[in-house]
Amino acid sequence: MSGALIILATLGTSLFTAVMIFLLPERAFRARTGLNLGAALVKLGLVAWMVWGLSRGREYTLAFPVLEGLAFVLRTDSLGIMFAGLSSLLWLFTTVYAIGYLEDSPNRKRFFGFFSLCVASTLGISLAGNLFTLLVFYELLTLSTYPLVVHRGTAKALAAGKVYLRFTLPAGLVLMIGMVALHALAGDIRFGQQEILAELAPGRRPLLVGIFWVLIVGFGVKAALVPLHGWLPRAMVAPAPVSALLHAVAVVKAGAFGIVRLVYDIYGVELSAELGLLHGLVAVASVTILYGSLRALAQQELKPRLAYSTVSQVSYIVLGIGLFGPLGTIAALSHLLHQGLMKSTLFFCAGNYAEELGIHRIDELDGAGRRMPLTSLAFSVGALGMIGVPPVVGFLSKWYLGTGAIQADMPWVIVVLLASSLLNAAYFLPILGRLWFRPGPDHGVGEWPAERRPVRLETLAWLLVPAVATALFSLMAGVLAGMPFSPLEWTTRVVNTEYLP
Amino acid sequence: MSLSGELFPASLLVILAVACLLDRHLVRACLAFIAFALLMALAWWRLDAPWLALVEAVLGALLTGMALFHGLGRLGGQSSLPSRDRERRPRRQVMARWPAALVWLALAGAAVWGVTGNGELAASAEVSRRPLLAAGLAIMALGLWAFAHHLHLLRRLLAFNVLGSGVFLLLAGLAGPVVEVQGLILVGLVVALVGSVLGAALLRRLYALDGRVTLGDGPKSIR
Amino acid sequence: MSASLDALLCVQTTVLWLALLAPSLLGLWAWRFPPQRMLPVLLAGLPLPLATLWLLHRVSVGGEFEGAWSPGGLLLHWRLDGLAGLLLLLTQLLLLASATYAVGHRRATTLAECAFAGFWPLLGGLAAALGLIWVAADLLILYAALELMGLCAVGMMLLPGKGEALVAGMRYLLYALVGSLAWLLGVALLLGSSGRLDLAGLAATTEPGPVTGIAMALLATGLLLKAAIFPLHGWLAPVHASAWPSVSALHGALVVKASFFILMQLWQRLMPEAVAAAWLLGLLGSLAVLWGGLQAWRASDLKQMVAWSTVGQLGYLMLAFPLLAGTSVAVATLAWQATWLQLAGHALAKAAMFMAAGNLVLSAGESRLTGLAGASRRLPLPLMTFGIAAVTLMGLPPSAGFTAKWLLLQAAILAGQWLWVAVLMAGTLLAAAYVFRVLRCAFVETAPCHEVRPLPAGMDLMALLLALGALGLGLGAEWPLALLREGGRP
Repeated sequence: MSGALIILATLGTSLFTAVMIFLLPERAFRARTGLNLGAALVKLGLVAWMVWGLSRGREYTLAFPVLEGLAFVLRTDSLGIMFAGLSSLLWLFTTVYAIGYLEDSPNRKRFFGFFSLCVASTLGISLAGNLFTLLVFYELLTLSTYPLVVHRGTAKALAAGKVYLRFTLPAGLVLMIGMVALHALAGDIRFGQQEILAELAPGRRPLLVGIFWVLIVGFGVKAALVPLHGWLPRAMVAPAPVSALLHAVAVVKAGAFGIVRLVYDIYGVELSAELGLLHGLVAVASVTILYGSLRALAQQELKPRLAYSTVSQVSYIVLGIGLFGPLGTIAALSHLLHQGLMKSTLFFCAGNYAEELGIHRIDELDGAGRRMPLTSLAFSVGALGMIGVPPVVGFLSKWYLGTGAIQADMPWVIVVLLASSLLNAAYFLPILGRLWFRPGPDHGVGEWPAERRPVRLETLAWLLVPAVATALFSLMAGVLAGMPFSPLEWTTRVVNTEYLP
Repeated sequence: MSLSGELFPASLLVILAVACLLDRHLVRACLAFIAFALLMALAWWRLDAPWLALVEAVLGALLTGMALFHGLGRLGGQSSLPSRDRERRPRRQVMARWPAALVWLALAGAAVWGVTGNGELAASAEVSRRPLLAAGLAIMALGLWAFAHHLHLLRRLLAFNVLGSGVFLLLAGLAGPVVEVQGLILVGLVVALVGSVLGAALLRRLYALDGRVTLGDGPKSIR
Repeated sequence: MSASLDALLCVQTTVLWLALLAPSLLGLWAWRFPPQRMLPVLLAGLPLPLATLWLLHRVSVGGEFEGAWSPGGLLLHWRLDGLAGLLLLLTQLLLLASATYAVGHRRATTLAECAFAGFWPLLGGLAAALGLIWVAADLLILYAALELMGLCAVGMMLLPGKGEALVAGMRYLLYALVGSLAWLLGVALLLGSSGRLDLAGLAATTEPGPVTGIAMALLATGLLLKAAIFPLHGWLAPVHASAWPSVSALHGALVVKASFFILMQLWQRLMPEAVAAAWLLGLLGSLAVLWGGLQAWRASDLKQMVAWSTVGQLGYLMLAFPLLAGTSVAVATLAWQATWLQLAGHALAKAAMFMAAGNLVLSAGESRLTGLAGASRRLPLPLMTFGIAAVTLMGLPPSAGFTAKWLLLQAAILAGQWLWVAVLMAGTLLAAAYVFRVLRCAFVETAPCHEVRPLPAGMDLMALLLALGALGLGLGAEWPLALLREGGRP
């Protein structure tokens, strides 16, 4: 199969699914489920094929001109395919989860249609070959997530949707202006052509710095950098699979991935360091990490606590980018994957508690470990990973961040890391304590807020399997970090191409 | 044709236009307009444009006149509009209508002066068109003011027709009765006729529906 | 060799005039025998865009071609270049969609028989007028076509025959008539000072000066009035309140744009270097963007919102004037492409939006925004169409509005005219605000479930096709823009 065709097929799988779902009637539950799962598997297979091809030196490119001197480019490189792999894998699990979660609720056709569109945009972002293409899918992502955020149609959901748009639409606009300015300055820059900006006349350097920060503001809203993070906790009203998707793969990761692309593939890490941009990033990231953790500590409900934890965790990626040197980069890129796995586990579990037992507040979790052991086990894996306990993958991220900080000669970052780890422990350990060591309704103390009668397992298999699977993946990615095609191994490969000429 | 020979019909045109636009008695105003259009036809005749004169007489005087009388309800036996215009624009708005007409007049006057002052109209045959130009300017300004000032729809239609005739006069006065001018005026006459017919029909429908003869009270009452 | 070329040119000319005049004949035919089904209309109209496509192909191969005919001593000029051909194609597609939609509309509701029959000759007249405007190279043809278009448009707006429609139509008629007199006066001054009416001749003989300035001011006033550019836009929104969706779609998409097109043609030929005047037009456009957006945001009625958004979107087009006047070639090229892409994208999207809004209103029996609550469940397809059209209006990717905005932004940044960047930003945010007000209403779940009237599938399909066209034009802009770059800019 030719290179362009396979890229088109990968992107088309999700788009086609979206269109087909919109065409199917609301009641065609089986056809829709089959379509969803089939498409997710096909896409995973296609991405795996591209990973394999890429590792053997093949290139997949699809490009055509849109304007004079500006092209629409889809291209695989090791960085993009990494993100594509993550999104395809998590799409599969999230789809399975969503099918179970939305059982018997109205508007499922609309939900799954936009869900597929959202995944198509994420894939487009990961395969984009220049900033223009990235922007196209980045905005498409905004549009396709809005119906998911307001899906419930309640006043609260609509208000959250409004806040979401108030943050993301202006951000998209700012991003566009930055990109147009960069385009006017240097023409169409494909990802990987760092030399274009590096060879620009020194007189243009201040302009480059300005454009950089404009673009960071544009990406920073989706990446939830403080003070642009306000939409993320509000968007919690969305259904749990949407939260998992929003937090783990699609939206925040799109922002973080954009920053990765900007620093490594447009400006180039040497130029960024020369212009002093990286120090700014480290500062912003540190503030965000600490602020997010502190706010998470103050939350009484489970999902908002996880949301603020996302604010803090995503900035580890930005922090890693800011640490000049291979180790920091490894930390940033691998955390992009690791955080996705762990955070989707946590959100799946939170959704399970809410669906099965009606639990929303943290103090209602007492003794839930006995009632839902597998879910609680998965949650514990995710939480321990977030704190950074080996052998879960979160440990690897923090380890590389710490060593990267020393390599970049910024030892004070280790203090930030330690403080944030302590805070992580402070807001996750009490939850684990309640889950496992407090007596709850199953020990005869009190009762669950709204218990649903279980089927054979502790909850629906549709809900349980994805949570356990992602937990297993985050465990395995840590234990088997040295194996080929593990996230860490792959990022090391990416970093080698970035730093070695 | 001497300059003084042209002065009389030109001033008569202006007088008829004033009579047509200022009379609150609608039938008289319409009659004045028909006379005005016939005089226009005469002016075209004297400018060596007999076809144009014919068209003006048929379209401008006859058919437009019929359309206006139809609008008044004086043709056929349906209920007719009151023959006097009793609509008055509020005093505050009256003053604001003047600058529009004055600006238009100043602009057009300056441009006409610019064109004629360039020496392109110096030939003696064209000096005789000067009164036409002046009459055209005056009629245009009158028409514009009346269009902006009046509320009654029939009077606005009259004002539009007069304004159009002023523009035609100016056109002929500036460029002479060449074939391009005749073409433009021909199209303009057809458009004015269709506009008048449409406007008169609309006026009748509006009057039949809810007895109104205006567009409400100005742009404020949109919707 | 040259004989065969001559023969080809002759065929091209014949095809062009057939394509221009066939719609009016079809319109007269349909007046006598009003069509009852969509398919015959579609089939009867389809050869026209195909013929235009062939002409466009010829233009891209052999360059623009022109000609003149002389009835009774007059010499009337016309020419077909890439821009005119593209606009002709756009017009034919939109007219076809509107005609098809109108048949469906008639089947879905009870329209008066004679009003429906009257729609067709007016549509034919409008088609002929628009086609003439695109190819005219002569002020006399332009004048005749402009008037024909205005009168046909007024007639179409009056078809519903309700009280409000009559008042709005009357206001529109009066404004249009006065606008055309201002235009005629401008023409008189130009004719008096240079003695010519053909655009090429005028461009060659006219020198910038007070007379040209005043003539241009009068011409511009007349055209701005007809194009509903702020502050002369007052007639636009009421006119759309009770018009049929098929008529509103054509009006918002093409009729107001035609006046803009003429203004641009004249401006480029008569005073391309008048920077101050161009900035004035740009400022008017900016105010239009802001005011139209604000009014659309405040509108409580769906069709009013769409109509006000037209006022705002037309403002974007006006930004072309300052970006074309006295700027570098690179900037001017960008702005030139941006303008026509924006025009085409907006035409498709606005037609789709009017149709989708019409479908929503017809199905739900409710024209207020609050009446749309829960529409995403009851009327998914029209709402989806509305949303896709809205993507273009907001200028979000991958739509023609987005690509055009990219070009405009690039031109403004290159020229250092940062004011327009701010205007574009504000316009985008306002567009998002009013569009999402509608979409937001549609997601409300607590609404009581009203009866929904089923509509013929073709009505939804036409709107959807147009909206998808606007979307596809965003990434597929290279072909039309290449045609534009080759020719069209005087």
